[in-house]
Amino acid sequence: MACRRGGGHGQPTLATLSRVSPGSLSTCRTHTHNICMVSDFFYPNMGGVESHIYQLSQCLIERGHKVIIVTHAYGNRKGIRYLTKGLKVYYLPLKVMYNQSTATTLFHSLPLLRYIFVRERVTIIHSHSSFSAMAHDALFHAKTMGIQTVFTDHSLFGFADVSSVLTNKLLTVSLCDTNHIICVSYTSKENTVLRAALNPEIVSVIPNAVDPTDFTPDPFRRHDSVITIVVVSRLVYRKGTDLLSGIIPELCQKYQNLNFIIGGEGPKRIILEEVRERYQLHDRVRLLGALEHKDVRNVLVQGHIFLNTSLTEAFCMAIVEAASCGLQVVSTRVGGIPEVLPENLIILCEPSVKSLCEGLEKAIFQLNSGTLLTPENIHNIVKTFYTWRNVAERTEKVYDWVSMEAVLPMDKRLDRLISHCGPVTGYIFALLAVFDFVFLVFLRWMTPDSIIDVAVDATGPRGAWTHQCSHSEKGGENNEMSKTR
Amino acid sequence: MMCTQPITNTKEAKWQKVLYERQPFPDNYVDRRFLEELRKNIYARKYQYWAVVFESSVVVQQLCSVCVFVVIWWYMDEGLLAPHWLFGAGLASSLLGYVLFDFIDRGEGRKKSGRTRWADLKSALVFITFTYGFSPVLKTLTESVSTDTIYAMSVFMLLGHLIFFDYGANAAIVSSTLSLNMAIFASVCLASRLPRSLHAFIMVTFAIQIFALWPMLQKKLKACTPRSYVGVTLLFAFSAFGGLLSISAVGAILFALLLISISCLCPFYLIRLQLFKENIHGPWDEAEIKEDLSRFLS
Repeated sequence: MACRRGGGHGQPTLATLSRVSPGSLSTCRTHTHNICMVSDFFYPNMGGVESHIYQLSQCLIERGHKVIIVTHAYGNRKGIRYLTKGLKVYYLPLKVMYNQSTATTLFHSLPLLRYIFVRERVTIIHSHSSFSAMAHDALFHAKTMGIQTVFTDHSLFGFADVSSVLTNKLLTVSLCDTNHIICVSYTSKENTVLRAALNPEIVSVIPNAVDPTDFTPDPFRRHDSVITIVVVSRLVYRKGTDLLSGIIPELCQKYQNLNFIIGGEGPKRIILEEVRERYQLHDRVRLLGALEHKDVRNVLVQGHIFLNTSLTEAFCMAIVEAASCGLQVVSTRVGGIPEVLPENLIILCEPSVKSLCEGLEKAIFQLNSGTLLTPENIHNIVKTFYTWRNVAERTEKVYDWVSMEAVLPMDKRLDRLISHCGPVTGYIFALLAVFDFVFLVFLRWMTPDSIIDVAVDATGPRGAWTHQCSHSEKGGENNEMSKTR
Repeated sequence: MMCTQPITNTKEAKWQKVLYERQPFPDNYVDRRFLEELRKNIYARKYQYWAVVFESSVVVQQLCSVCVFVVIWWYMDEGLLAPHWLFGAGLASSLLGYVLFDFIDRGEGRKKSGRTRWADLKSALVFITFTYGFSPVLKTLTESVSTDTIYAMSVFMLLGHLIFFDYGANAAIVSSTLSLNMAIFASVCLASRLPRSLHAFIMVTFAIQIFALWPMLQKKLKACTPRSYVGVTLLFAFSAFGGLLSISAVGAILFALLLISISCLCPFYLIRLQLFKENIHGPWDEAEIKEDLSRFLS
């Protein structure tokens, strides 16, 4: 813990890059940070968490910070890769256990992670997703090493069943001494505060964002002789595919000029196919199967109305993407969805076939009577709501605040664990924290921090990439090169 | 908390629970409305003491069945009960139960399942013939296993039978097949320690009667005539207690205490512990689909 800040890289230097929109909120002095994003979920896996990490990192690099990403190896993709703007990604050789999450023993990842944290002179660990074992491992080790920690929670959990009782307990342990937590919506914040028994003051709400330039409307792509309802989601129970299977026959019988386009794949696809077969709707219900992220926009712009039937959702990027493409959104009123879009852009329904059909009929009526906003108008309203630059700016403020905080020393950390996590769990994890510390001391004796090479910075204030490319701007493409360690 | 914010118009601006508007509050702001949608114990059930006691009778019955089974085995093993008597009594009570089974609900259950009496007779005959034919094998099957092992195994199997038995709870651990199999395995184990193969045959038949047929009749009694079910349970409990008393007084007292604690103390504790229940609900809960969606597919 002693020699962490010796390198001089963590020293505060004023950000040299121009701020995007200074605004009223950014009055405090900004330091640059060496940030390490850790999550099991990253490209080539696709999803909300993955794109969040990528976009946030890009915007933070733009703001002059050094950012690296640590994830586990995906098949052949292992070692170190560089993405756009010199974003360095470590694909660590850790075994995947279930659903792309690594197995955890709490200790086996310490040697690798410590090596990375030291050679990259990391000052802040930012872990993502409560489903990721690696993220929790990294938090645990970072606290042992005396590095500041931030955690972003992307999902909602219940409290009723045994599995959520267990995961909530683990989250309590993991977050009780984490410096700051970020949630993507107010509902998610309430949920996380309850699950991990946190002080709500250390939980910030920073929503997700979408890139409005990726999701632009194109009214000429849709046929105005028919009304098209678009659904883009994984076809699983939690996304309410069962409700969709009730809505389709109900509305198709009522409106002869109504078509459905459904993008996405999943175990519930079969029931949609059964419905299509049973009601002979092959020409009116198109099932597109799995969509690549870049194709989503081209599917969205073909529709007039976007339908979201999720049963639980922390933020729901899909409805923002759809609204950004100029569609009228009809959605279930669950989780954080009511916070995401203003009332004139979304029709909220209860999660039942009847209520959703009523909502859709209302949207169809408005469409036929011409009272809906034009796609271009909707796009112009939505594009101001959520931008990655804003997210990065707000996240940066969390980093600034965290970097001024002291990391709990070992004795206080043990006290916190024991007093905060209950008598049994508290003592078990306090013991594990001590083991982790002893293991760290052993590793420091084996390979002292001083003989670990300092990595070449691609990004950040001394980043080679930033200096090279500051005059020849060439973003947008993924430049990848392998490098041996 | 975070950097000192230039909060200019906080007084006038009211915090809204929306994400699309930039509000003049720091990101970690906690409003008074924080957690206002939190609900506690909305689906919690209120229990009535006597209703819980009534439901606990299923457990009592099953404990008594195991007890009666072991007592009968002990009598057979000691030579105090002739196999003919047990067979006769078992046959008579089975016939009585069979008639009752149809009489209680006036044959509605039979009409619904569409099972004929001929099918019942056939399966009974097949079972009796096979058990009778294999009883010499059952008798000698576990002869080489030491008696202590047999006893230990029987105890574990009967405990397993009690654990996995379908008491009506909707839990993953419940498996009536496994439960029945464990009981029959215990009976085969114990039967092999009896003097002759006729004993073994009758022991296994009796096990089927008490572990497979008797719970079915109980279930029907409980559903159709709760009053008589309470009477039958009490009678059964007393006979189990009496049987155990004739073997060991201490065992009988312990058994009685067990039954009383299950049927009286445990319900009391269940109701007391309800006061400490804190079931949290809120907008983050996964929505439930309440309608029957299969109608769209059929």
